[in-house]
Amino acid sequence: MKKVSMYTLSTCPWCRKTKKFFADHKVPFDYIDYDLADEATQRRIMQELDAAGASGFPFVKIADEVIVGYQPERYASALGLQGGAE
Amino acid sequence: MNTESRKKALHYFYEKVVGPLGFKFTPDAELREFLLEQEVILEGKHGVPFCPCQPLRHDRARDMQIVCPCIPFHRKHFDAIQRCWCGLFVHQDVTDPDKLPQLPPKEVGLE
Repeated sequence: MKKVSMYTLSTCPWCRKTKKFFADHKVPFDYIDYDLADEATQRRIMQELDAAGASGFPFVKIADEVIVGYQPERYASALGLQGGAE
Repeated sequence: MNTESRKKALHYFYEKVVGPLGFKFTPDAELREFLLEQEVILEGKHGVPFCPCQPLRHDRARDMQIVCPCIPFHRKHFDAIQRCWCGLFVHQDVTDPDKLPQLPPKEVGLE
């Protein structure tokens, strides 16, 4: 199984949907809510976002692939899930 | 002012601002209510109703670009995806917001 990690915001409904997608598909994931993180962690996350040309959340990493925004079809494709984003 | 009253006040204000920009509130009532509530919470915390789906950088000039409604600062991007990043607003001709993917600027040929 590919490693899944994500940066999210506790206030963002799309971030909640993203977490739900992986939970529903029983795919383990790590996440950090940017707005609840300490200053050093926030700086590190912003560096990653900037390097990827991203400006919003959710920011999902599936192995080496970065997917910005709530894109269930791409999550499913990156994970090779059968039945796609359903 | 309680949360519900403030949500109504923001709704009233935003409607007047986004209409001339070619946008309207999303027809998804649940999403609309949730996002407005988050904005009231953010306003209580920071004094400004920031976008609930974009990060505060603690850089005033950049943070002011995510004060809702932030459409003027991201016009090309939001016009390309027919919605704002958090989905509170959609283009006026949109009837089914579920068909609008949340694509970042790079994926619509910007930046």
